[in-house]
Amino acid sequence: MTEIITDPTLPILHGPSDKEKKYDRQLRLWAASGQKALEDAHILLLNSGSGTVGVETLKNLVLPGIGQFTIADANIVNESDLGVNFFLDEDSLGNSRAECCVKLLQELNPDVKGHWLPLQETHTVQNLLENDRKYTLIMYTYPIEPQDLALVQEYGNKHKVPIIAIHSAGFYSYFRTHLPGNFPIVDTHPDSTATTDLRLLTPWEELSKFANEFTSDIDNLSAHEHGHIPYLVILLHYLEKWKAEHGTLPSTYKEKTAFRATVSAGARTNNPEGGEENFDEAAAAVLKTISAPTLASSVKAVFDYKPNEFEAKSSFWIIASAVKKFYEKNKQLPLPGSVPDMKAQSTVYVRLQNIYKKKARQDVAEVLAAVRALPGGKDIDEGEVETFCKNAAFIKLIHGSEASPDNITTIAEAEAANDETAAMVGMPLSLFPIYLSLKATSHVPTACTSDILAAIDKTIPGASSNPRLAQVAEEVTRAKGGELHNISALTGGMVAQEVIKIITKQYIPIDNTCIFDGITSRTQVLRI
Amino acid sequence: MSRDYFNTQSLGVPLNRMVKEARILMVGAGGIGCELLKNLVLAGFGEVHIVDLDTIDLSNLNRQFLFRHEHIKKSKALVAKDAAHKFNPRVKLEAHHANIKDPQFNVDWFKGFTIVFNALDNLDARRHVNKMCIAADIPLIESGTTGFNGQVQVIKKGVAACYDCTPKETPKTFPVCTIRSTPSQPIHCIVWGKSYLLSEIFGASEDDSPEMDHSEDSENAQEIEKLRQEAQALKNIREAMGTDSFPQLLFDKVYKDDVVRLRSMEEMWKTRRRPEPLDYATVIEKASDAEARKDKILKDGQRVWSLEENVVVFRDSLSRLSRRMAEMKSSGEVSAEPVITFDKDDEDTLDFVTAGANLRSIVFGIETKSRFDIKQMAGNIIPAIATTNAIVAGLCVLQSYKVLRGQFGSTKEVFLSPFASERLLASDRLRAPNPDCPVCSPAQTRVLIDMSRATLGDLVDDFLKMELGYGEEIVVNHGDNLLYDLDETENLAKKLSELGIKGDSFLTIIDDNDDDPKGPRVNLILNVQES
Repeated sequence: MTEIITDPTLPILHGPSDKEKKYDRQLRLWAASGQKALEDAHILLLNSGSGTVGVETLKNLVLPGIGQFTIADANIVNESDLGVNFFLDEDSLGNSRAECCVKLLQELNPDVKGHWLPLQETHTVQNLLENDRKYTLIMYTYPIEPQDLALVQEYGNKHKVPIIAIHSAGFYSYFRTHLPGNFPIVDTHPDSTATTDLRLLTPWEELSKFANEFTSDIDNLSAHEHGHIPYLVILLHYLEKWKAEHGTLPSTYKEKTAFRATVSAGARTNNPEGGEENFDEAAAAVLKTISAPTLASSVKAVFDYKPNEFEAKSSFWIIASAVKKFYEKNKQLPLPGSVPDMKAQSTVYVRLQNIYKKKARQDVAEVLAAVRALPGGKDIDEGEVETFCKNAAFIKLIHGSEASPDNITTIAEAEAANDETAAMVGMPLSLFPIYLSLKATSHVPTACTSDILAAIDKTIPGASSNPRLAQVAEEVTRAKGGELHNISALTGGMVAQEVIKIITKQYIPIDNTCIFDGITSRTQVLRI
Repeated sequence: MSRDYFNTQSLGVPLNRMVKEARILMVGAGGIGCELLKNLVLAGFGEVHIVDLDTIDLSNLNRQFLFRHEHIKKSKALVAKDAAHKFNPRVKLEAHHANIKDPQFNVDWFKGFTIVFNALDNLDARRHVNKMCIAADIPLIESGTTGFNGQVQVIKKGVAACYDCTPKETPKTFPVCTIRSTPSQPIHCIVWGKSYLLSEIFGASEDDSPEMDHSEDSENAQEIEKLRQEAQALKNIREAMGTDSFPQLLFDKVYKDDVVRLRSMEEMWKTRRRPEPLDYATVIEKASDAEARKDKILKDGQRVWSLEENVVVFRDSLSRLSRRMAEMKSSGEVSAEPVITFDKDDEDTLDFVTAGANLRSIVFGIETKSRFDIKQMAGNIIPAIATTNAIVAGLCVLQSYKVLRGQFGSTKEVFLSPFASERLLASDRLRAPNPDCPVCSPAQTRVLIDMSRATLGDLVDDFLKMELGYGEEIVVNHGDNLLYDLDETENLAKKLSELGIKGDSFLTIIDDNDDDPKGPRVNLILNVQES
């Protein structure tokens, strides 16, 4: 996160242009900074069972250029593997599945390095995790031996490594992400319709002066000049007038609609169009832009959070603390500095853009000074501070899985209650039974229906009396732990998407379990 | 355990048999196509036909995993077939490196399939396949992705809404005068660089460009005439291509002389900033420093270049393109005048359009852009990644199981909602056809005719009136062309072949008879086949 793509003065990619070309279509989504994070990552897959979903996930990570991956798998390739796994062929029969998959996966992208390990008596999960190699993220697929699972979890906790569990059987699948500790995201890629702060209620001197140039003699402007006043300037002008008349700025909904009417009335109508586009733009922007910026709850959560000693040393929390100081002093977040599109003469628009950019740079400088004054703030990259300031209104903190997830019985009760009302209005039912049934086959994929139901009853007493759960358990039994290729391919797509979000620290990852039902083509996300 | 052990286990024997007996058509072997083909082959579909016109490009390799570096410039359809065949030799695969709109792929050919999958990237081909599937009454599974977004829809005549049941957004066009005389945004200059400057020098004429909107031409007749002369003069400069004076001639023509002429039109600049001409000799004199850094500049596509840097790139890319043109001419493989058209992945054309557009922006006081941004704007680039395609292709196969069983009622229209991290997918129930849809609501029928002998009159009198019982007040359209109505009778004596009607043409018959107590008949789409 040290570089931002929008600043035209920073040269970003110096690599061979072939690489830039190959990754062109994805660089437009996660930029050079995201790509760099991917290329620095090493992912471990502990593969098992019919073994397709993990390999399909890796395929979607090898293609965009993950740095390295390792597959550990105890299985030897047999005929049924060929029917479900695309990364095995006739020549693979009888060989280590890990080795064969790595070979074919690596063909997809020569920039990626693949490693493999056949899990045997001499090579155990324990050896694997004890070696010097550091993994960025670990994925494991069910079924898994309980002692191996414990080792993976221990490794994740110790090294603060995210873990993703994946289970695909028949028409069903789910995956669950486990983030170590709290996971802050700066570049959340907010929706393009999300409001950017334009500081119209608290304009700084240079902006007011600029606005005055156009509006001090507004009634005597030529038709063209009047029709090309940027709408931000129009709003500033009428806000000043309003304040002079009312003593305060419009704040209630009623005042704002009245204000909007004033703005609309300012348009000249004695022209062939019978109105002016820039005034229409101004009126349309009133409700969205004329309000004191409130701190989003996700940002407040970041400000309120007390990072532990380990976390406090990270650049995120140092910058967050400096931005918090800025907010407390200025009662607003640093200016993002972008200006929306509007009707204006191009030279005027460019000037307006520059005014906003200049102010944004001043705010960054103020935050940067605060960062430098904090312990550990000396070496923080200026670009990172800039990116943080630009995205400050949309930063988000995802709580790690250990931070009090809901109790499984509480979820079961809530989902059952939802289903009762959902059934009455014909809404789709909860997918929680799929999670429970798959979970019950975590270690024994060929469990029969009564075993599955008995296991669920142990954690949620009386759950098996739900006929839907029995039906789902029946379906899981029928699959006998076998994967359907397209269900695993689809699940692999979703998992890889989450891995990319976590590694690039961009976009918001799901929190924390996604259940997929291939019979109704639906997903449900639950925090479990 | 046998190869299809897991499939039999989960799908059940009857469905698994239907899958094995199915004949599938997959149109498009790109991002979704590669994923889909892999899924179809592993699901054990009996026979799959692949149609794709395209060849493989470097920028495909981040997601189209059936292709490797050594396949660049080869046919997508053929390479995909070979790659997929290895993984299930039992599936019969057939590849067509061809345009799906070619006449060989007629309605009868479509009728030979159980299900058609659209894995396309453009509106035109999607609409064509949609129309063919409606005419052939074959179920179509339509899908698409952009970045993290994607969707899947099942289409079936009379049962589920077709692709055209909801109007689609058409690509943006610009009035000629905005592009040629009064640009005000970067995109205007980019379209100018691509559809005017590059095409006039190295390609066909701008009039063919789909981005030009000529609807306002008549209001500006005088200016349009001037622009026509200007374009002609530019064409004449082509003669100097390859000579040392070519860059200066071209530069001074478009950034000085034409701008001076524009400046002189007082009317135009009453309300706009007057453009400032650039002089080649003056600019190039200051560009020696940039010239020395040329290779570095060309590698740095993310930064916005200065005036001098743009001139250097302008001159360099112009000479690269001129050389290519000369090579194409001397190779003599093509008899017609060779052309170079804009391709976002062709570096020479991209450099030329970037510098050309930025220089024009400087003339008009418009913000300049980096090559990275211009590539996206000029090439209509849609971000594309492996993960989204994997999800969408998986959903397509799930829908196909329901289609095979004939359970259209339980098919879903699924949307990926990547930014609603509380669900990731959103599914809707099947939508009923729109009763006013111009494509799937009209009645459909077909007729076999000897096009070289039958006249339009024969079709109207002998078939429409005698056989189908239409009255006098009917209108016959061929696409947007009116062939016949009560006042438009001069085509009646012409042979159908003379009217441009070939095998597999679609005519629309509209009944205008409002006097009928039952009201006029619904529109009829007539599929004309060569007998």
